[in-house]
Amino acid sequence: MRRSRTVALTAMAAAAVLVVTGCSSSSKSGDSSSSSAAGAGADAATKNIVNASDKKGGTVTFEMKGTPDSLDPGNTYYAYIYNFSRLYARPLTTFNPAAGEDGNKLVPDLAESMGQPSADGLSWTYKLRKGLKYDDGTPITSKDVKYAVERSNFAPDVNSNGPTYFHDLLVDNPTPYAGPYKDKEGDLKSIETPDDTTIVFHLQHPFADFDYLVSAPQTAPVPQAKDTGADYVKHIVSSGSFKFESYEDGKQATLVPNTNWDKSTDPIRKQLPDKIQLKMNIDQATIDKDLLAGNAQVDLVGGGVDPQTQAQILQNPKLKAKTDNAYGGRLVYLAINSKVAPFDNVECRKAVQFAIDKVSVQTAEGGPIRGQIANTVLPPDIPGHQDFNLYETKDNKGDEAKAKDALKACGKDGINTVLSARTERATEVAAATSIQAALKKVGINAEIQQYPQGKYLTDSAGAPQFTQDHNIGLMMMQWGADWPTGYGFLQQVVDGRAIKASGNSNLSQLNDPSVNKLIDDAAVNPDKAAREKIYGDIDKKVMEQAVIVPLTYFKVFLYRPDSATNLASTPAFSGEYDYLNIGSAK
Amino acid sequence: MFAYIIRRIFAAVILLLVVSAVTFAIFFLLPRFAGETADQLAAQYIGKNPSPEAIAAVKQNLGLDQPLYAQYWNFLKGLVSGAEYKFGPEPATCHVPCFGYSFKNHLEVWPELSKRIPITVSLAAGAAVLWLVSGVATGVVSALKPRSIFDRISMGVALAGVSLPVFFTGALLLTLFSYEWPILDNLQYVDFTDNPLMWARNLILPWISLAFLYSALYARLTRAGMLETMSEDYIRTARAKGLVERKVVTRHGLRAALTPIVTIFGMDLGLLLGGALITEQVFSLQGVGQFAVQAISDNDLPKILGVTLLAAFFIVACNLVVDLLYALVDPRVRLS
Amino acid sequence: MTASVTTAGNEPEAAAPDGPAKKIEGRSLGQIAWTRFKRDKAAVAGGVVVILLILLAVLAKPIESLFGLDPDALHQDLLDANLGGLPLGDWGGMSLDHPLGVDPLQGRDLLTRVIEGSWVSLLVAFGATLLSNTIGTVLGIMAGYYGGWVDTLISRVMDVFLAFPLLLFAIAISTSLQGGAFGLHGLPLHMMVLIFVIGFFNWPYMGRIVRGQTLSLREREFVHAARSLGARGPFILFKELLPNLVGPILVYSTLLIPTNILFEAGLSFLGVGIQPPQASWGGMLQDAIRYYQVDPQYMVVPGLAIFITVLAFNLLGDGLRDALDPKSN
Repeated sequence: MRRSRTVALTAMAAAAVLVVTGCSSSSKSGDSSSSSAAGAGADAATKNIVNASDKKGGTVTFEMKGTPDSLDPGNTYYAYIYNFSRLYARPLTTFNPAAGEDGNKLVPDLAESMGQPSADGLSWTYKLRKGLKYDDGTPITSKDVKYAVERSNFAPDVNSNGPTYFHDLLVDNPTPYAGPYKDKEGDLKSIETPDDTTIVFHLQHPFADFDYLVSAPQTAPVPQAKDTGADYVKHIVSSGSFKFESYEDGKQATLVPNTNWDKSTDPIRKQLPDKIQLKMNIDQATIDKDLLAGNAQVDLVGGGVDPQTQAQILQNPKLKAKTDNAYGGRLVYLAINSKVAPFDNVECRKAVQFAIDKVSVQTAEGGPIRGQIANTVLPPDIPGHQDFNLYETKDNKGDEAKAKDALKACGKDGINTVLSARTERATEVAAATSIQAALKKVGINAEIQQYPQGKYLTDSAGAPQFTQDHNIGLMMMQWGADWPTGYGFLQQVVDGRAIKASGNSNLSQLNDPSVNKLIDDAAVNPDKAAREKIYGDIDKKVMEQAVIVPLTYFKVFLYRPDSATNLASTPAFSGEYDYLNIGSAK
Repeated sequence: MFAYIIRRIFAAVILLLVVSAVTFAIFFLLPRFAGETADQLAAQYIGKNPSPEAIAAVKQNLGLDQPLYAQYWNFLKGLVSGAEYKFGPEPATCHVPCFGYSFKNHLEVWPELSKRIPITVSLAAGAAVLWLVSGVATGVVSALKPRSIFDRISMGVALAGVSLPVFFTGALLLTLFSYEWPILDNLQYVDFTDNPLMWARNLILPWISLAFLYSALYARLTRAGMLETMSEDYIRTARAKGLVERKVVTRHGLRAALTPIVTIFGMDLGLLLGGALITEQVFSLQGVGQFAVQAISDNDLPKILGVTLLAAFFIVACNLVVDLLYALVDPRVRLS
Repeated sequence: MTASVTTAGNEPEAAAPDGPAKKIEGRSLGQIAWTRFKRDKAAVAGGVVVILLILLAVLAKPIESLFGLDPDALHQDLLDANLGGLPLGDWGGMSLDHPLGVDPLQGRDLLTRVIEGSWVSLLVAFGATLLSNTIGTVLGIMAGYYGGWVDTLISRVMDVFLAFPLLLFAIAISTSLQGGAFGLHGLPLHMMVLIFVIGFFNWPYMGRIVRGQTLSLREREFVHAARSLGARGPFILFKELLPNLVGPILVYSTLLIPTNILFEAGLSFLGVGIQPPQASWGGMLQDAIRYYQVDPQYMVVPGLAIFITVLAFNLLGDGLRDALDPKSN
């Protein structure tokens, strides 16, 4: 799961989870041909690019609460850095800078076209565009892409933040490859670079979503000679439309146009502002004020305004018209542990499904602004989502009678169990309290246990033995996809083979052969529509097993400053605005 | 005198060594109380899917597999002579004073930590000036006219001051002056060297909330001290000699009454310099305290260790300065 | 140490108009102190409030069940979900049913939560005070009485403790033990950890006071007398010296309790003390501060609870000190 927001939570971490950025309405754009200015109003940027403009110049200021894990494209796992890093690091493919569904579309970036899979689906070939250069004028070669994958996936003790999909998917050397820092002479044989513009990946098994995988910043080229390991973040070499002018750890970064970037090699970037500033460690209330006053254009984290700024915006129709309330590609859910009695019995799980009052949970999470009530595992902004509800209750408020029937069918009058939640997330604890109250009414006593979020998946909820030992039958959880496909969303949470002794994200420990098979089918099926249908089927099967109680589809609440141009909320990056082409209206 | 100074400094260094050893031991043992092995500790610094090889590499790199005393020795060595770690193609040098590398972002602890010091120093020093002046003045005036209206009111306020949690006072001030009447909004730390006026403007609310608490304490202390000294025989003698009352108060009374205050001031200032955690939290000041809170919630041991030692250093140093000042003023101290 | 607001205790004995027909009789030190204390109105008021608070804390659970109050009961119908779950109405949802209003997101009754929070706060504060005073008294007496290397050792240990940044340690320890340790978890664990960190790192203050008092007491005649009659160390320590130290220990304890209440609230405020949904004053403030602009009333409720409690203890402590040791004023 790509960590998408509420980063760097301090100990008190409010877990305020909305978003604010930009604003539009009085479009000062030069280019009014697009649908932009016309439709500005609440949620305009979830449908179209608002304030679309080619106006150059000015400064765009990004502000963030806390600090990112790293700006190094090979050492990050936050959606907002995936988004932001594309300004200075071009991956092989990336997402179309557009609003709504269009934003989910994958387009070639460093590569001239999408990958070419071999007939057996075991190798993928990409051709790089011609004439690509770094900011120092040296040419970008496919070897640099290969090196970038090696350093980000095979040196976990140095670049520890990112995911390791390539490590898990690519064929390893006969003697396992130790990574570029330890094995300075060797390399990973399964990535071939027959010439400077071609790169071939050899996989262990077919993988239909590979084009999505290479959209990660981990494929953005890094010249080996310039890589200083963990220190690389201090002088990142740019392949994008902007380059670093200065970087001060934990404080700020300044980007300026990369003069060696060539528009003809890049159909999607615009290079509009003269300067892009990233200010770190800013208090959320200050970010909110700066956005409202036009002193900042984007809240980088997209983690949301303070609850109080939110209340003020909602009470003011003029301000509310400049907001976007979009899905964040995330599901807030309750995982039921199918390995802890009595939840090994599907009827007992159904009792929980029926008992929970989802309206109460939604309010505790901050109301409809923060999430729409969910009944399926796949959120609506993930292709393949189908609407259905296997456990209908009146107004989603829970049904005591049905729950008690299910409990009876399970052979129980009452259940004593433990419900886990993450300490730092105030709204998660509040939601757990709501669930506890609803379960109590049908005779299920859930004791709430909190664990620090840093260790939630490694040591507590994500450690099956631990849940067994501590009778943890129910677990609060949120999940967002690493890339917006059914596979990217579902595989880690419902595939039985994804269960791990530590760092497990299939919290329910569902290991259903028919689900596993469907996942495999989808992974090798080259037809997109057919894959999406399978994802819908998996969703239904999982709900039949009742191991996941979908609570809400997480929503972001963004504020659009008038001072920013080209704002489009994209589902590909958790509902954040697409950061590629934001310009200054001033 | 010289010998005395040397002796005190030596004692302070020993004290710091002991504190650092105990701190080190506590943070070494604490994760183990919570049931974590060296493997699990190492795994935390690797991220997704830690492989046994990666864990072994981290353990070796950071020396997590060595016994406690060896780790402590390496730590001390790093402090005075730097150290080398392997986090990239070439070994990275951790410069003196090497507090180690952050496990989370693999950056040196000291440069990150030292950047926070000016913020906390600004906060603590400004507040200290405020509370010393207002606290001592209030205490003296109250003591000179005990049971007067001024005395009663100021001591009442002082009692309220010591009874209010600083995070409540701070939040209240924020509500009033940053929100209801936004005369002091957009509070963002500005370096003194960049713009002294903005520096003061943006720190005034944190100063006041801290100083309110402390000046209340100091007013009560000063008043008590003054009342006691003013009833001493030598004050009576001074008066009998026909000394002007103002001189009696300043030259004889205040001087004696201030001695214990200076001791406590040294302690308080030392504690604050190590991070005014709550005040920094309330006003979102990115000082040493926030650094500590962040490090602790990240479970980033080298950072926690670094900030704890820094805080201990400030406490010991402030006490040392106070001791030396005494020795300078009062020759008797040197002999004891 | 510090002076009281009121100076009643300072009035000369003779001026006390105890009634014309008062018989002359011997009064013990305790009786004298009590007479003095009774004259200090602020201290008496503080004492009354303290007693009421202790009663409230002890009876919190029975009160809740008697009136059917549940600190964790949800009243989300009183919230405006479309505004992000803020209480409906101007004053944080104040009503006859909820005289102090309800909290955002969950609509829990604030009055009930303040009552519930009282026993947590007081139990932690008393526990921590007891712990630090026990350690401090035992080691302080030993240091003061035996002198020599015992004194040197204990004094140096106290120096080391005083050089520790207490708050930092408290946070670090609470955080790493939060998930469960020593076979405990949840509220009992959090309370135990709080009592331990607050109590264990605070003892040197008590130790210093007791040591100083012991130093001055050990050369007094009654100690010499006991020693010449053949009494051994432990007997002298605990039968002869300790009773004479009760005064200062009592005063200092009363003044330490409010400090510890603030400490506990501070830790909970930083998110490392008592964890929600358990109600605690510091935890409520931590939650409330997120809403200080739109629901300021929420912040005021736990803030006042802490203020009143701490103030009452301070008044009582000041009064006791003046009564037991008139010279200190």
